[in-house]
Amino acid sequence: MGGMKVFEKIRNLAEKDFNEYLDAEKQKGRKIIGYFCSYVPEEILHAAGFVPYRMRAVGSGSTARGDVYFASLNCTFVRHCFSKALEGDFAFLEGVVFMNGCDHTRRMYDNWRHARLAPSYLHMFTAPHLINPLALDHFEGELQKFKKSLEDHFGLIITPESLIESMQVYNRKRALLAEISSIRKDPAVPIKGSEFLALMLAVTAQPVEEAVTLLEEVREACRGRRTAREGDLRIFLSAGCVEEISHLELIEECGGAVVADNLCMGSRHYDALTDASQPPLRALAERYLTHLSCPRMMNDFRRRLKYMADVREGYAVDAVIAEKLKFCDLWGGEIFLYRQESKKRDFPLLTLERELYGGGTGQIRTRLQAFFEQIRNRRTIAGDPVRSDSSNEVRH
Amino acid sequence: MAFGKNGKPLREFHMLKLSRTLLYLIYFLSKTPRLATVLLYLLRPLYVPVRETFLNKKFRYGLLTFGAGLLSPDVLKAYGYGARAIIDNINEVIRNAREGRPIVWVEWILNPEMLDAFDVTSFNSAILNVFGNAYGAEGPYSLIEEAEKFGVPVEYCSAMKLDMGAYITGQIPRPALTIAGSHPCDTNVSITQSFEYLLGVPSFIFDVPYWKDGYSYEYFEKQVWEQIDFLEKNLGRKIDWDRLRDMLERLNKFNYYLSEICEMQRATPCPGTHFNLLFAWVVRELNVRSPHAIKMTEALYRAVKKRYDRGKGVVKKEKIRVLLWFPPIAFFTYLFKWMEHEFGAVVVADFIGNVSTVQIDTSSKESMIRDFAVTQMHLAMGRQCHGPAEFITDEMVSYIDGYSVDCMIFTGHQGCKHGWAAAKIIQDTCKKKNLPALYLSIDIMDQRHLDEQGVRNQITEFFRSHGWVE
Repeated sequence: MGGMKVFEKIRNLAEKDFNEYLDAEKQKGRKIIGYFCSYVPEEILHAAGFVPYRMRAVGSGSTARGDVYFASLNCTFVRHCFSKALEGDFAFLEGVVFMNGCDHTRRMYDNWRHARLAPSYLHMFTAPHLINPLALDHFEGELQKFKKSLEDHFGLIITPESLIESMQVYNRKRALLAEISSIRKDPAVPIKGSEFLALMLAVTAQPVEEAVTLLEEVREACRGRRTAREGDLRIFLSAGCVEEISHLELIEECGGAVVADNLCMGSRHYDALTDASQPPLRALAERYLTHLSCPRMMNDFRRRLKYMADVREGYAVDAVIAEKLKFCDLWGGEIFLYRQESKKRDFPLLTLERELYGGGTGQIRTRLQAFFEQIRNRRTIAGDPVRSDSSNEVRH
Repeated sequence: MAFGKNGKPLREFHMLKLSRTLLYLIYFLSKTPRLATVLLYLLRPLYVPVRETFLNKKFRYGLLTFGAGLLSPDVLKAYGYGARAIIDNINEVIRNAREGRPIVWVEWILNPEMLDAFDVTSFNSAILNVFGNAYGAEGPYSLIEEAEKFGVPVEYCSAMKLDMGAYITGQIPRPALTIAGSHPCDTNVSITQSFEYLLGVPSFIFDVPYWKDGYSYEYFEKQVWEQIDFLEKNLGRKIDWDRLRDMLERLNKFNYYLSEICEMQRATPCPGTHFNLLFAWVVRELNVRSPHAIKMTEALYRAVKKRYDRGKGVVKKEKIRVLLWFPPIAFFTYLFKWMEHEFGAVVVADFIGNVSTVQIDTSSKESMIRDFAVTQMHLAMGRQCHGPAEFITDEMVSYIDGYSVDCMIFTGHQGCKHGWAAAKIIQDTCKKKNLPALYLSIDIMDQRHLDEQGVRNQITEFFRSHGWVE
């Protein structure tokens, strides 16, 4: 497939909540199971013979129906998703796996049951808030419970062999994603941040086997490709839920190139491989508990910080953009800490608060332009021995 | 960083010391409870019917909190013990801060019993959530503003912002260690990390499991053992099991009296003001280790039992039995006595004051830790908020059914996102039970959202619209 064609295909897949791959699997009688959050082990769903589908608000026109169940103080991701559920947009699912990721999403499980929405398999999967040996043991037990609930509900058996096979194919997918992401180290930036987000949306809504094929095509298409423009600023983007490709395109339009991230639909999805030499559930527990964390993990901020520092260095990052959806305490707190670090380590930081599919493009564009302009001015001044001033910090 | 007189920074521990002054006042008044009750009643025109003014701002909140002359003398006497328990903790904390001795912060849904076994000073950083009002109405929200100016997210629960504001303005002491947990909400999960970053002291965090089953209790129990290791390592001393046994036996007694009071509250007419249970919860949070804490619950139990045995209610003519659901309004603690006095409306159960726990088997180290873990997971707010919505609604329904409730007042706190996300489930549960309910949109710490008068107006209209009052 030609380079442009594959990116068009990805874009096309990313903009739909249901696609031809899922349709084909359904025709074959394969069940599709939706899941929230990067802590839910896809391998267990896959080993059971299902297609794991990352839940999303793509295609949602409004939060109106969800607002009956959720309050205006709840985040727009949850309200959009629940609206879609009430509209019947997830009718193709045979099950939904929820997660205690945050206070907003964990209530989705409660409201879904309260509204008596299909499908019949609704499972609350829980993950610890800490990373330590005790939490790991506990988490392994949660995985065991999850596996058993699938077996009991659907009348099947998930064998260790099938789990190992699934782990291998998911490792392949993750390795490819990591490889494609890392080619953004190249100054030519062979794949844009917006394209990479589209890719993430695509490969989390198709069977993993197809995803691997698609990723191999993308890897090929990226060879010798250049998307970087003269003067683009290299950006590290850190946030919770970001699924609007147009938002990343806006950053690009303003002169930024997102070269690395810490996003749910980004590096948190593919960071760390499963150790196939361990017993399957143990290996999965270890991978899912210790992969690049989000702020729900209470004892891991220093590691997240180190990740950001390593990426800033390894990817020659010029600036950090940290975002949150309104009313997200977890990312609010993370951004507070980023600000402290930005003062200490003197790196440019822009913090944005947004609503998912909430517009506000003009305002965000202005803030991005001002931020990028300040960074460029700062560089100019830093290069000028007369005007150079060490207190000239960039922080928004 | 300033909101004191003339914009000057507040002196270190100024608000903590004001809280202590207020508590001393209550403590001394409780020494002669009959005389105090009469005095408080006679002086009511100075502080009850009017809003906070320049003249009454330093004592209005305190006197209203302690019943404004409407508490019976035996209950006022009990409150004196509770006040003494808190005073002792404040004194010890201030002394330790001055002398450079260690203070351990213990989060508000993890009580300080374990620290008694290490003979180390515990401190609840949320103390000013309640007693910050002793500074006047602007006390709590000034601390909230300081936290927001410092960069703490505005959408955080105001209780946590207040803690941060208190710390950065030097109103509470810096700890040597902290003990925190992952419940009840995201703000707690998040701000624990901020405190850990800012304080740079060793911190032990409990990962509170989502469910309440054997597997979850066992996980928490293992963490209690780890907490002991953490304290031994960081305090450089061994746990004293005899001290822990003694503490937990006192805790059993403490919980027994409160559970008995909760049971008696089922009676019609209701024999006690529900504020008793809330004040006991505050004392428990701040210093259940004090011998005065037991004295308080025992005295409260006797006072309520006396009325219960005589079939007497806390009000002469009980008209409305109220379930107060969700955290109580910290700046309007007089709500209970006001509703009783004004409308004969008695709160019979609530989210925080009602006790639901186990008695701890102190026969062995293992049984102590096992049961202690369960008591920690069953503390108010923790037990309802860390799991599915049924943890909120099942308990609510059990009170609606078991306490002959006429209506519910839902104190919808702004910072409580998971609470608001469950509001429809709560509403539908009430509808199913055919229970009239008032849904307040309020910030329980920050009265700029809805103030005392606003609460009074909404409750009055609610009672009127249902024909319960003229």
